[in-house]
Amino acid sequence: MADSLHSNLQKILQQAKSAVASADTPATLENLRVQYLGKKGELTAQLKQIGSLPAAERPKFGELVNQLKVEVAELLAHKKAALDHAELAASIAAEKIDVSLPGRGMGIGGMHPVTRTMQRMQDIFTAMGFGIATGPEIEDDFHNFEALNIPAEHPARAMHDTFYIDEESTTPHLLRTHTSPVQIRYMLAQQPPINIIVPGRVYRCDSDVTHTPMFHQVEGLMVDEDISFADLKGVLTSFLQQYFEADLKIRLRPSYFPFTEPSAEVDISCVFCESGCRICKQTGWIEVLGSGMVHPEVFRHVGVDSEKYTGFAFGLGVERLTMLRYGVTDLRAFFDNDLAFLEQFK
Amino acid sequence: MIISEQWLRDWVDVDLDAQGIADCLTHAGLEVEGVAPVVGQIDNLVVGEVLDVIKHPDADRLSIATVDAGAERLTIVCGAPNVRQGLLVAVAKAGAALPNGMKIKNAEVRGAASQGMLCSAAELGLEEQSDGLLELDAGAEPGQRVDDTLHLDDKLIDIDLTPNRGDCLSVQGVARELKVLADASYHPLQIDIAEPTIETPIEIKLHDDLACPRYLGRVIREINPQAVTPLWMRERLRRSGVRPISPVVDITNYVMLELGQPMHAFDLAKLHDRIEVRQSTAGETITLLDESTVTLDGDTLVIADAAGPIAIAGVMGGIHSAIDDSTTDIVLEAAHFTRKSAAGKARRYGLHTESSFRFERGVDPQLPPLAIQRATQLVLAICGGEAGPVCEQKNDAGLQNKAAVDVRLARLSKLLGMQLQHREVDEILNRVAGEVVATRDSWCVTPPSYRFDIEYEADLVEEVARVKGYDEIPTAMPRIVPRAHAVSEARVSLHQLRQSMVARDYHEIVTYSFIDPQAQKTLSEEAPLELSNPLAENMSVMRTSLLPGMLAALEFNANRQRERIRLFEIGATYHSESGNIVEKQKLGVIATGPRAPLQWGLTNDINVDFYDLKSDLSSVLALTGSKEPFIFKEFEHIAMQPGQVSQICRTGPDGTQVELGWLGRLHPSQQKKMGLQVPIYAFELDVEKALVAELPVFSEVSRFPSVKRDLSVVVGDAVAAGDMIDAIQVELGAVLSKVVVFDVYRGEGVEDHNKSVSLSLVMRHADKTMTDTESEKMVGAALAVLAKEFGAVLRS
Repeated sequence: MADSLHSNLQKILQQAKSAVASADTPATLENLRVQYLGKKGELTAQLKQIGSLPAAERPKFGELVNQLKVEVAELLAHKKAALDHAELAASIAAEKIDVSLPGRGMGIGGMHPVTRTMQRMQDIFTAMGFGIATGPEIEDDFHNFEALNIPAEHPARAMHDTFYIDEESTTPHLLRTHTSPVQIRYMLAQQPPINIIVPGRVYRCDSDVTHTPMFHQVEGLMVDEDISFADLKGVLTSFLQQYFEADLKIRLRPSYFPFTEPSAEVDISCVFCESGCRICKQTGWIEVLGSGMVHPEVFRHVGVDSEKYTGFAFGLGVERLTMLRYGVTDLRAFFDNDLAFLEQFK
Repeated sequence: MIISEQWLRDWVDVDLDAQGIADCLTHAGLEVEGVAPVVGQIDNLVVGEVLDVIKHPDADRLSIATVDAGAERLTIVCGAPNVRQGLLVAVAKAGAALPNGMKIKNAEVRGAASQGMLCSAAELGLEEQSDGLLELDAGAEPGQRVDDTLHLDDKLIDIDLTPNRGDCLSVQGVARELKVLADASYHPLQIDIAEPTIETPIEIKLHDDLACPRYLGRVIREINPQAVTPLWMRERLRRSGVRPISPVVDITNYVMLELGQPMHAFDLAKLHDRIEVRQSTAGETITLLDESTVTLDGDTLVIADAAGPIAIAGVMGGIHSAIDDSTTDIVLEAAHFTRKSAAGKARRYGLHTESSFRFERGVDPQLPPLAIQRATQLVLAICGGEAGPVCEQKNDAGLQNKAAVDVRLARLSKLLGMQLQHREVDEILNRVAGEVVATRDSWCVTPPSYRFDIEYEADLVEEVARVKGYDEIPTAMPRIVPRAHAVSEARVSLHQLRQSMVARDYHEIVTYSFIDPQAQKTLSEEAPLELSNPLAENMSVMRTSLLPGMLAALEFNANRQRERIRLFEIGATYHSESGNIVEKQKLGVIATGPRAPLQWGLTNDINVDFYDLKSDLSSVLALTGSKEPFIFKEFEHIAMQPGQVSQICRTGPDGTQVELGWLGRLHPSQQKKMGLQVPIYAFELDVEKALVAELPVFSEVSRFPSVKRDLSVVVGDAVAAGDMIDAIQVELGAVLSKVVVFDVYRGEGVEDHNKSVSLSLVMRHADKTMTDTESEKMVGAALAVLAKEFGAVLRS
């Protein structure tokens, strides 16, 4: 009797082993668990036959059945883990995607190259300690010319082809031809020390391949005791080196602006070549801006003591610097607003 | 100004080549635009004398010339009408390569052998067009190289002079400048006094001797009307960019180029009585040399005779007193017109001449006596004649020396940021000016009569720096008191604004501030500021809105096969408000075409609509951190489709509504005008008013869970969802932490002229958990208020 029970147990174990091994779904495994380990399962049924055994063998038999239950449970758990793993692997394989497809959603726009440059210029100058000042684009003669030592009929006015508004009225207005009038407005409102830049739109009545009737400037003004031409050189060198991110040299050449004396055109060593190219016209130098020491007449107009204070001013052409920085060859492209052009500046 | 290197070297010995001279001038502020050879060297081009001319036997228009070319005699077939015995010509022998690319070979022309070619000025590259052979001046030796005879190894230096350096508008001026800059040996022209041989005077009256403090006139009688300008003079004029005309005119131009004194010559026979220098009377007319007739204003200085104006002083002569090819008696004029009297006249009458250009910038008042002698000398030499006395009227008060200018050594050092030696400054100042009085630490400098640009101490500082060389100035860094402040939190910065629009897939544009008045009129009801002198009609009014410019940019891109266009601009608009000009900074945004770029996995057939733009607008407004909601009101705008346009407002600090801008759909008729099928949406915000930012204010975050309940109601079509939300917020108060419309539905299951609006309410207590009973009560209250105010019915 005991032997047959034992062999029965072994048989059940063998059956369970092969059944678990061949099970291929979690559901089959669950059925097997119920079949062998459930309340009405086969091993539980075996345990119920323990009464037919002699009392001395019962504990041992009970222990054996429990061992088998543990063994079958482990088999089931093992197989379950294997199946879960395979299922996950299968679903992962099924969920493989094409990572080369582009992401979904909106694109990204871009800043206009001129404002991009103006922002960079502002960042560089503010880091140096300059403040930012602005002024109106529709100006009067006093701020745009008179106070800048460009009296009526001065030949220098020919360099500023001016747009007028209500020219015939007693208080004619004009579109500022440079950002310099803000120098006047600022100095009338504020005594030195002064160190500001003035970004903005300016206008000249001129239109051809190299001129647009509207363009952008950044004016600079620094006034304090003992500000010298050498300081102008230092500030501009620092700015231009940062702007072009190059260890370039600058060169000053005498020039003429009615509101500065001495005046200078500023050239940078060519950032495109070693020994002459189309952009520097084979000279190794590129003209980038005009500058000079504030003219005593300008100080007189704004009530700054020119014995006590000296100062420098400069005017940077934003389009020019943008063209040099990004290699733009056509000035007019800035105002066509062709997306094919704008999209190049992200 | 273009100046000939050879001519310059007549005046100054300088140990520099043409490029060296150019660099020297450029570094001193006389910017040289370029240095170009007159003509390159031409081999096998020699002087020839025509010994004999016979007709070509087989060609009517050709002749056969026998030419003495020095070492040889050549037979050359020639078609020029002016070939004649005794003529000195340029002979291109076999092997010559002319500047126009022509290569000369021995050839047969209509059966006659030709050993080269006789050349015209055009063939030598000296003129654009010629109608005959170039006639060389007497004295040229047959066989001599023509490039030697004509001094063709010359270089032309093109100087772009700044308006302050009128004194350099002549060979003399540039030579003088080289003396200062390069310490070169300067030898001004020795001008012999041409003594009068006749007594004919010319009467001169100066009615305005402030505007014209000096006027010299001189009669020359019996000049030869057939005289021709010698080739050397024509060449110098031509190289200086002045067209040769006739001997007397050429001589006055030559003296102007040489000395810097503009001159004029009248035909004595055509003058009535005398010369008067006076202001014009308004309405007077004069017909000028260019045959244009000008009606003068009342304040123009003219030269007149007893019959009326005969020249606009310092600008252009009149045709009725002009020299012609039968003139035998002339009056030469050399006068000083002040800068003030010349200023603006050329511009006013549209007559920019070499003369007006110089007088506007200032001509040396000491020049006229010298210039009239020089011109006389040249007239007598070239045209013959008998010179009368030099007649002069002047106002000595107007010709006084310039005021002396002091310059201090300490000021020089302070302005330039470098130490200078007394000796060095002294030496430079003495080169610049004749009269320099030195003290231990300063100088008193009397500027030369031709230097109008030296008035202030700073001008002498520049002179010293310029002559010494700007390269010598050191580089220093000033101590900069920081003036930049971090951007205030009280405003949204323009940079933030730009970044935010860029992140929402918009490209920034920059459009002109002046626009087409037609576009302005159809897109805005505001009267714009008008330009008095626009470049073009379509750029003649100042924009009052960014919309016209944005639409033009959109159209530009639509015409270039772009379907999806999203643009923004930040810039000023210009307004006239109760007599004052006001500029307002605006943000303008415009979009059309598909909502998202073409891509997989998203439907691409949905075009942007009002709510897409409203979302972009809201994202901008959200930058302000405003706790008060912005108000969107129904609105009317001339450019926008009625019923799809909203005004944007906010509640100001005093409780009134501040208008910030508008948002809407472009009127279909405008859209049609542009030929576009897809709707266009745009908004515009007044940046100053709209982007006032608020500081975030912290409030305690509730630790208790929130409850979310949805509610769908049916209301009439006209009910605004915004009003429903407002009503619920007022009714439920602080317990309602959020209410969102998540669906709006019309169609099956909802009666006509009604819509179903689905709302999601999120509620939460700050201090306790909300029970189901409470939340049900809240939803009930919300429903009740919607029913009461909008007739809402719970959707079943």
